[in-house]
Parts: sequence; C-alpha cells; structure tokens
Amino acid sequence: MTLASRLFGRTARAETHDDEHDPRQHLMLDPKPRGEMNRMVMESMLTTSWKFWVVFGILSVLVAVCFFYAWGYMIAEGLGVAGVNRPAYWGIFLVNTVFWIGISHAGTFISAILRVFKTEYRRPFTRAAELMTTFGLVQAGASIFMHLGRVWLAYWLFPIPNVRQLWPNFHSPLMWDLLAITTYVLGSTMYLFLPLIPDLAMARDRSTGWRKTFFKVLALGFRGTEGEWTHLRTAMNIFAFAIIPVMFSVHTIVSWDFAMAMRPGWSSTVFGPYFVVGALHSGMGAVALVLFIMRGTMKHMTYFIRAEHFQAIGKLMLIISMVWAYFFFNDYLVQWYGGDKWTDLLLHWHESGPMGWMWLSMLILNVAVPWAILWNKAWRSTPWLLAIVGLLINIGMWFERYMIIPVTLSINRMPFTWRLYFPRIEILLTIGTFSMFLLFYMLASRLIPLIPVWEVQEGQMAHTLRKVGRTTVPSVSEME
Amino acid sequence: MPDKTLLALFPDIDPTATAIEKLHDLGLRDDQVEVISGVPVIERILGRPRQWTNVTRLALGGAAVGFLTAGFLNFVTPRMYAVPVGGQPLLPIPPGLILFFELTMLFMLLATFLGVFLDSYFPNYRPLHYVPEISDGKFGVFFKCPAGEESRFTDAMRQLGAESVKPAEAIHL
Repeated sequence: MTLASRLFGRTARAETHDDEHDPRQHLMLDPKPRGEMNRMVMESMLTTSWKFWVVFGILSVLVAVCFFYAWGYMIAEGLGVAGVNRPAYWGIFLVNTVFWIGISHAGTFISAILRVFKTEYRRPFTRAAELMTTFGLVQAGASIFMHLGRVWLAYWLFPIPNVRQLWPNFHSPLMWDLLAITTYVLGSTMYLFLPLIPDLAMARDRSTGWRKTFFKVLALGFRGTEGEWTHLRTAMNIFAFAIIPVMFSVHTIVSWDFAMAMRPGWSSTVFGPYFVVGALHSGMGAVALVLFIMRGTMKHMTYFIRAEHFQAIGKLMLIISMVWAYFFFNDYLVQWYGGDKWTDLLLHWHESGPMGWMWLSMLILNVAVPWAILWNKAWRSTPWLLAIVGLLINIGMWFERYMIIPVTLSINRMPFTWRLYFPRIEILLTIGTFSMFLLFYMLASRLIPLIPVWEVQEGQMAHTLRKVGRTTVPSVSEME
Repeated sequence: MPDKTLLALFPDIDPTATAIEKLHDLGLRDDQVEVISGVPVIERILGRPRQWTNVTRLALGGAAVGFLTAGFLNFVTPRMYAVPVGGQPLLPIPPGLILFFELTMLFMLLATFLGVFLDSYFPNYRPLHYVPEISDGKFGVFFKCPAGEESRFTDAMRQLGAESVKPAEAIHL
C-alpha cells in the first residue's frame, strides 16, 4: 500500500476504478436529437418563475436609482459629489473600467482562443461568455463616461474637423484607449451575433406572436444553405483569429494609461502582460460564476453545463492564477529591489498602510484560495465551490485594481498632497453598473438562446466512442 | 412544361450524401441541387462542389482601408491641425503603430461582418424555399426535377431514406 493510499484510505485498485467513468457524462458523448435540444433551450428561455421577476424588479430599481439617478445627480452637481480629489483624481470609476474590461476578456478567451485550438468543451458556454464581453464592455464604457464628468463633451474625442480649434492627439494613450475599446466593443458584438444567427433562425421556427417577429428580424432570413454556412464559417474563423490580438491590445493599452506615467508604482514594463493576465483571471472567475447561476436557475441547463465544464474552467483558473502570481511578483520584486525612495514608501503604504488589509486580501483571494482549492479535481468539478472561488477571485481582482489606482495615487513625490481617497457617490454608481450587468444578462436569457445548439450538435456529430484494447475512448473526427 | 423543384428531407448526413450521388446518377448537375441543413457540413462530406465566398477578400479589403485611414490620421491630420506637445515629434512612429493596428483590425472585422451580409443576401425577408424541420437537424435537398419525372425521382429518394419528398414551397421566414 502506498503512502498516499494509506493517508487517504484508498487502494491503488480503487484509484484505478475511480478513473473509469461513464463516457455519457460528457456532453459531446451524450447526444440527444436536435429537436429535443431545441425544445430544451426554448423552454429554458421561455420558462420564467416569479423569483425571476422579483430579482428583475430589484435590479431594475437599483439600476434606476444607483445608475441613472446617481449619474444624473453627479452630472447636475458636478464631480464634486464624487470622492476624487487631489492627489487621487482617478478613483473607483477607473477601477470599475479596468475591472469590466477584464471581465470582458473571458468571452473572447473562451470563444476565440478555444475555438482556434478546437477545444471541444467550449461549445455549450461560448455564448454565455461572449455575452459577458459585450455587457462588460458596456459597463466599462459607462464608467469611463462617468469619469469624464462633463460627459456631454465626449464627442471632443472624435476627429471632427476643426471647428472647435481642437484636434484629438492620436499619440496620447487616452486616444489609443478610445480606439482599442471601440474596436473591441464592435468586434466582440459582431462576434457574438454571427454564431447567434442559426440559433435565432431555430427560435424563429418555434415561436409565435411578437417573439416570432423579433426572431424573424434578427435571423435575417437565414435558412442554412451551403453558401450561408460557408460565409458564416469563414467569417467566424477570421473573427476568432483577429479578435485575439485585439483583446490583448485592449488591456495592454489600458495598462499603458498607467505605465506611461512616471509615477511610483505605475512605471513598469510588465504592466501590459500583467494586466492581460489579471483580466483573464477575473474573467474566468466570472464565467464560472455565471455558469453556476445559469445551471441552477434555468431549466434543462444541467444537460448542457456539466461537471466536466467546471472542471475544465477550474483548471484554466488555476493556471491563470499561477501566471498572475508570477507577474505580480515580477512587478513587485523589481520595484522593491530598485530602492527608489518614493517607491519604497509606496510599497510600505500598500502593505502596512490603512489599506493594507485590502493588499493582503488581494493576495489571499487571487492566489491562496484558488491554489488551495483548484488543485483537486473533485473540488474544481463541484459547481458551487468553483462559483465561490470565481466570486472570491473577482473580489480579489477588484481589490487589485483599487490598490493600483486610488491607493497608489495617494502617495507621490509631493508629500504635502498625500491624502487617502474615500469614495462617495462612486459607491452607488458601482452598485449601478453591477446591477445593470446582471439585468442585461437576465434580459438576454429571456430573449436569445444562451446555448449555441447548432455548435453543440456539430460537436456531438464529430464525437464517437472507439474501442481501444479493453476499453472505449472518445474519438473526434475532423468535420469543421 | 418547366422543371419542378422538389424537396427531399433526410434525417442524417449519410443518406443525404447518398441521395446527392443518386441525383447526379439520374442526370442532375451540381447547380440543380441545393442542400440546406441545421448544422454546417463541409462540402466534401456531401460530395458537393466547394462554395465560393468573398468574405476573405472583403476582410482583406477592409484591412487595407483601415490601414490607409490610420495612415491619414497618423501622418496627414497632425500636419493639418498641429498639436505641439513639449519636445515631442509631430509624427512619431511607435505610437502610430498602435493606430495602424487598431484601425486595420477594426475595418477588417467590419468588412468581414458586412461580407457575410453581402454574400448571403442578408437580410432577406422574401418568401424562400424552406421547411422548419431543418432547424431540428434534418437535411433538406432541393433539386430541379425534369417535367414528367417526378415519380422516378421521388421513388429514388424514398428508397434512399428520405422522410418526405414534396414540391418545394417558398414560405415567409
């Protein structure tokens, strides 16, 4: 008996048996007729309980009060009602911007990168992830506009000929931001819509009344001809390859908003990849959370979203957590070793200042928690546990952005300006953006099929079981 | 008497592929047969000719337009509306590369999206040959049946596993 088996009370033989499993636990090897899957997805979309409407109502009120009213109040009264002031002019608005752009990266990561690498488990949840991209970017955009203050002058950013004696400087990181985020919003929305067309056609064929008209308009007359599929497939391949560098560029450029400034704590050459990995870290956590909620609240989702998907996402979360820790340490050590007086002060301020608890929590939530839980296959296959880890990672990543932006801005090379940032109306507006994200998601779950049924069927058609020796193994045919 | 368009509905890929082969044997050309399906099936699986698509060309065209637009914003507009910034050159190359990248990608993605619409004639709300069973995973084969040969073609399709063979109807989608 091995030491491990003595410790865990299992024999080697039992471990071997544990590894054997029913192949039908994998969605791709447990096919149902397409009509049956269509029915399940339509039912999940159309079945709405009273609990849905209660949550919907609460979120609507929160959006009305915390988003629209609070923002309107801030526009009317000016940025003085917010906590931003010298030296921390960038407060929670930009924390939220970076956070939401981070969330938006998971959609592209799952949908595009896993599509490029033909990773089969992606199929049932690509759309749920892509929706996060679009809705996350809406919140990121709203947060930037909140930060602008005089939001009605936002059009000054656009290159409209020079009647105002102003011309945007395209060599400024803020203009790169505008271009990169615009490209990403448009690209990811189109990338969400293209694979949705066949499912909208499916919904059109099964709907009546106003829904029929809604789906009919959005399905654009799609019939599934050879030509339509060819154009769609070609476009989706182009999008999958092209959106990946755009995704990397967006968060790299966001990081340059900070790294281009000669400030202690910001001027760093690893900020680009550090931000990209941080975005993926929070995004993957959010995907786990969203899939858990979908699975628990929507009808028939246990068929489409299974333990294998949580297992795979958990594995990615663990790897990304390790990469994030590597970049964090890299960034930290180089600054610490440099010995610059102001940087030393800043690092001490981070670790043992009034926000030290947040710095420590950030490390615990982003590193210790995922490492302690996700190494275990059974634990990371447990949906509720993975959802909790995802939630904690997101809290940790929000803390990270808070440490980087307002806390870092509190310390600079002019000690007479040092001041700790305390958010005011920003708290309401933060609640507003989170509520709006959830509200959009709830609306989408009633209006569009969240499961890409045709992609699931395509995957199931490509998978077969093949006998090898004394066992059967899954085999995937090249059908794309 | 003009040729009639018939629709044979099959439950799976294999009988569909066999039926298409049979239609060729019965004298139909590729352009007299059209397949619709609820999942994408690459042409060689069904023995169909490769489909032509302009999406890639349009994407490249879009990328070129984006690149030129970036060049205009990078190198022409700063001269038209100069914004001198303390000691920095008016036309720096490294920040310009970012603009080139973003606008090239943006226009390429827009052109790709537009390409799907143009090549597929989207949106198209006119009556078209279709049956809703297609989105239930069935495979539909539309073919031009020579006048007076309906029964021969219908029997052949049924023998190969067609669930139904009927005159194709154009319906409002």
